[in-house]
Amino acid sequence: MLSFIIRRLLIIIPMALLVVTLTWGLVRIAPGNFYSAEKKLPPAVEANIRKKYGLDQPWYTQYGMMMSNIVRGDFGDSLKYQGQSVNEIIWRHLPYSAVIGLLGYLLALALGLTAGTIAALKQNSGFDYGSMSLAMLGLSVPNFVLGPILVLIFSFWFYLLPPARWGGVSSIILPVITLSAIYAAYIARLTRAGMLEVMRSDYIRTARAKGLDEKTVLLRHAIRGGLIPVLSFTGPALAALLAGTVVVEKVFAIPGLGNIFIQAVLNRDEPLILGVVAFLSILIMIFNLIVDIAYGFLDPRIRYE
Amino acid sequence: MAENIEIVKGASLWRDAWRRLRRNKLAMFGLGVIALMVVAVIIGPMIIKWTTGYTYDWIPTDNNLVKAMPPSFRHLMGTDDAGRDILARVLQGGRISLMVGVISTTVSLIIGVSYGATAGYLGGRIDNLMMRVVDILYSIPYILIVIVLLSVFGGPSTPDWIQWLSTTLGGAGNQGLSQIFLLFFALGLVSWLTMARVVRGQILSLKNQEFVLAAKATGVSTFGIIFRHLVPNALGPVIVYATLTVPSVMLTEAFLSYLGLGVQPPYASWGSLASDGVKNIAIFPWQLLFPGLTMALTLFSLNFLGDGLRDALDPQTRKF
Amino acid sequence: MMALRKVSKFYVLMFFGSLLVNGCTSSANSRYFGKTVAPKDNILRYVTGSEPETLDPHISSGQPEARIYMAIYEGLVEYGPKDMQPIPSIAKSWEISSNVDEFVFHLRDNAKWSDGTPITANDFVYSFRRGFAADTLSSSTELGFFIKYAEAFNGGQVFVKKGDTFLLAKDFGGEEQKPSPGIGPDTDFHKFVQSPIRLTLDGDEKKRAKQIDADPKLKAAVAGAEFVEVKAEDIGVEAVDNYTLRVTLRQPAPFFIGLLAHQFFRLVPKQAIDKWGKEWSRKEHIVTCGAFRIKDIRPYDALILERDPNYWDAGNVHLDGIEFYPVEDNATILNLYKGGVIDAFLNHTVLTSWIDEAKKFKDEYMNFPENATAYYSFNVTKPPFNDIKLRKAFAMAVDNNALSDFRKVTKPLYDLTPSGIFPDYDKARAKVSEDLRKERNVSPDVLAKLGKFDAEQARKTLTEAGFPVQKNGDRYSCPTFPTDQVSLMFNTNENNRAIAEFVQAQWRQNLGVTVPLKSQEFKTFLKDRHEVQYIGLAQSLWSGDYMDPYTFLGLHYGYPNNGDTGFNDPKYNKMLDDANAELDPAKRYEMLARAEFYLMEQQPSIPLTINATNWMKKPYVKGMYPNPGTLIPWKFVYIEQDPTKWHKDIENVMIESDPQVEKQLQELTATQKAAK
Repeated sequence: MLSFIIRRLLIIIPMALLVVTLTWGLVRIAPGNFYSAEKKLPPAVEANIRKKYGLDQPWYTQYGMMMSNIVRGDFGDSLKYQGQSVNEIIWRHLPYSAVIGLLGYLLALALGLTAGTIAALKQNSGFDYGSMSLAMLGLSVPNFVLGPILVLIFSFWFYLLPPARWGGVSSIILPVITLSAIYAAYIARLTRAGMLEVMRSDYIRTARAKGLDEKTVLLRHAIRGGLIPVLSFTGPALAALLAGTVVVEKVFAIPGLGNIFIQAVLNRDEPLILGVVAFLSILIMIFNLIVDIAYGFLDPRIRYE
Repeated sequence: MAENIEIVKGASLWRDAWRRLRRNKLAMFGLGVIALMVVAVIIGPMIIKWTTGYTYDWIPTDNNLVKAMPPSFRHLMGTDDAGRDILARVLQGGRISLMVGVISTTVSLIIGVSYGATAGYLGGRIDNLMMRVVDILYSIPYILIVIVLLSVFGGPSTPDWIQWLSTTLGGAGNQGLSQIFLLFFALGLVSWLTMARVVRGQILSLKNQEFVLAAKATGVSTFGIIFRHLVPNALGPVIVYATLTVPSVMLTEAFLSYLGLGVQPPYASWGSLASDGVKNIAIFPWQLLFPGLTMALTLFSLNFLGDGLRDALDPQTRKF
Repeated sequence: MMALRKVSKFYVLMFFGSLLVNGCTSSANSRYFGKTVAPKDNILRYVTGSEPETLDPHISSGQPEARIYMAIYEGLVEYGPKDMQPIPSIAKSWEISSNVDEFVFHLRDNAKWSDGTPITANDFVYSFRRGFAADTLSSSTELGFFIKYAEAFNGGQVFVKKGDTFLLAKDFGGEEQKPSPGIGPDTDFHKFVQSPIRLTLDGDEKKRAKQIDADPKLKAAVAGAEFVEVKAEDIGVEAVDNYTLRVTLRQPAPFFIGLLAHQFFRLVPKQAIDKWGKEWSRKEHIVTCGAFRIKDIRPYDALILERDPNYWDAGNVHLDGIEFYPVEDNATILNLYKGGVIDAFLNHTVLTSWIDEAKKFKDEYMNFPENATAYYSFNVTKPPFNDIKLRKAFAMAVDNNALSDFRKVTKPLYDLTPSGIFPDYDKARAKVSEDLRKERNVSPDVLAKLGKFDAEQARKTLTEAGFPVQKNGDRYSCPTFPTDQVSLMFNTNENNRAIAEFVQAQWRQNLGVTVPLKSQEFKTFLKDRHEVQYIGLAQSLWSGDYMDPYTFLGLHYGYPNNGDTGFNDPKYNKMLDDANAELDPAKRYEMLARAEFYLMEQQPSIPLTINATNWMKKPYVKGMYPNPGTLIPWKFVYIEQDPTKWHKDIENVMIESDPQVEKQLQELTATQKAAK
């Protein structure tokens, strides 16, 4: 197990570099430059810019320079936001995304697991249909619709919460709810499906046959197996959440990483794109590793050589 | 061993499932709604054009009618800001949204399930390698992929053969449609990744079970074990996840359209109609209400159908 | 089962039903839009659009930044609050040479940086030189290319020195500069800068060699010559003494003073830049010179300013501070405004569908013409639109009036330059139109109709161009038109999309041609447009850089130009050059109007709309005016606590007199008037 973890951890850095390389290639193929704007630059100014950023060098020189810096952990300065380093931007905006993302996911887990488990246990009951319909509603109402609706209700009918902007606990309630809705729905449905699957499996039947009471069967045996689909989903989802959620950040004007990243892609801000991508890929691989380890804990039948 | 006997009479599995499904009223209701929706989006636009003259892109010639109007007998779902009939737009948007949903989900089912199942069953190095590929693909920003796809295949510098292909597939030189095909391709490209992870997780927990060992012992091929034994047993979460994929790709499509990377105007999709409508919820609520209701109804039905399918196909329940 | 189905339906109905109910009740009969309480802390909260790229005014050319720079940096002159005409700022007065190519500015002696250092003419010399320096990478340098040798310095060019003399531009096809009398004391630098324009060649050896090889006369002349780099010290900016600055241009530019309020010409602090390099604009290092100084920078969240006690006119700054919030989503901005979180926001923000609603709030909604135009450019280099007839047919088939009715916030545009922004130019255009009518001896309506909507004529023209239009019932079709060879390209945003869909419908209804739309992500769009690679038409939106029609007419001047149509006509270039050499402003305008007329007959673009300001402010915010560029001189702005003195009927705001603002403006402009 330990060697498995070490092997997986060791491979993360080369993998991240591979992701960075592929992304770099895509940025270079994508049309437009970070400096292109509505007004065309005079050729001399454009030449100055290209020279300053080494864009007049052959691609392999540029790639080599970029990689040698990145290997040392230096992504350089943002091209769009001059005088700000990529590392600085990521660490400055990560907390906003992390707070919203984690709280949103925790809320979603709490709601989704409870609803999904109960629905599975009382399959075809009123609660089952009710909660699953609600879950479906959460899925079919996009967050760009849900957000404005919540703002309308809580900010303009009841004047309870601010409509947007970061600042204090009251300002994160609506974004967290908006964000969690779709995840809660996902989790509820995946939990229900997983639990239904597990409740009929042999080992649960064995546990019941052993005379264990229903509560123990559920909490000690069934829920562990039933969580597997949720777990597979959680790894990438949580990584993506930490790195920001574009729509919610936009609707509520939150200075999170998600929106900054989208803007960076649209601005062709290469260092910032590569920085966030490297960060995100490492996050994804770590979370997936954790998920893989957790598989083993949840289901003793899963083993890693 | 019971499973083995069933596999031999493979045809009866589906007949059996269909029988089971028919008994599930909620699932049949879902199937009915979806069938109705498919028929509606195929022939609906023609009927509307024939009866009222409205199409999804018809802006009234009379300037006084170029505005948002509430639902009326002429416009059953009202009009949008340019005076276009929302019913016609919802029906046309349904074509794109349903296609987006179906194509991406199919891609995610075919690639995701076989990929995830293979990785999970083979395990070890191969699993490790295959899953790292998924990690890499997951880490590359798909917006960037879409931007590059559209510029390489949809811009002025598109190679001739691709242009020929897209005009042939998209109908007489319509540049708007070729972008839709690229969009399907791009959405399919990203939608199978999570599916592969879900399936792999499921397979990992199944592959050491007795029935797999039994199949191995009786000399069933690896392919047979994966697709005849393991996948059917993992179908529950797969179907549920597939039904979850549909709304998520529809929303991704709406987001891409918002960035200019999705459906080309004046075409619309349910997602883009909803995102246009939501800006006006406080003044012209029908602009959100009807596209939203149509989309929600379809997704609901899809979900009921998915649950029904899951129950019907579940090899465990068949024992009872 | 039936009951269960009802349950799920109930949820849906309740959810969406509640929206419907709200829709009917939200337009309450309140006088003001949402929460309206004057902030007690005397701090204005403003949304200026996207996150500022940098606080270095040389680098960013954007509008959101421009508004921020106006609070923290000053230049020689400032935009007037209502009309954006230049008013004295650090320069208390100025003189202009009779040729309008040399300017002497008299600076006030009490202006200070936020760190207390006095501001002198040397600060301006430094700032101008830094702006043009190649490694500053400013994207706005073009605005200052009128300054002598600025372009050569910015492009790293070289003078050609032969023996003791330099080769002159006029000997090698360059324009001869009219001998200028010049103003101010005669210095060595003045003698140099007043001497005839020297020849400049490319700084890059290879490119220079090519340039030389192409011209035999030049090749002979440079033999044995020495190439001398154009240095920062060579550009036409001179500190005559501590409080006198002289700027020399390479050609007359009557609008030059108005240009100087642009962010590119604002002061940057030498003391901070020398010390901190590119990090000078960070919160801990920044030194400013405007009415406000930096209190806190929270990227993507807020930029917080406070009144600067060191500011030379601090007594006339009314607000205690300004908070700029970067928010991009228009619906979110409206929500913040409605919720009373912000007091005003930037232009172009009220969603079109909301405008009728917003207009009900007569004390708040700003609907005034803007120094900006929207038009569609043709790619005149590719078929089918290399045919002028076809361009005319498509232009005539667009009903501009209907379009601006639909857009609600715009006026129809028929030319290149917006009408109603430059009143004197409008007069010149009317006169030129009349003159042309007489010259060509046609009836008045022929010229009046030129470029206006005429569906019948459009169909006729299209048929004449070889694409016959057929009539089927009440609809038209044009089966031979190659719709697969054209598209209408625009960058994605809801306004562009709405306009494109509307115009597409117009063409279909009036010509029977369905032009495919191509909505593109911004940078992809820019590449295709700038390189004139698009097929058919592309959307353009141009905001004037300064208050002169040349900011629009220059779009199609020279090549490559910012018109992005591939249009390049030596005759048009000559007409503009001649006009700008004209010293009499009225005559110059007439010459420009003739050039514009000539251009529009070539129809390189379809004029669409003149945009409107389209923003809102709370009635308690006063001294803030909907000027044509939404560039607000913040020191005039104040918050009125007394509701009886709040703005009423904002449409009169430009003609109404606000004694406080009038007095402040009078005091400021008095120094320049006295100098005259």
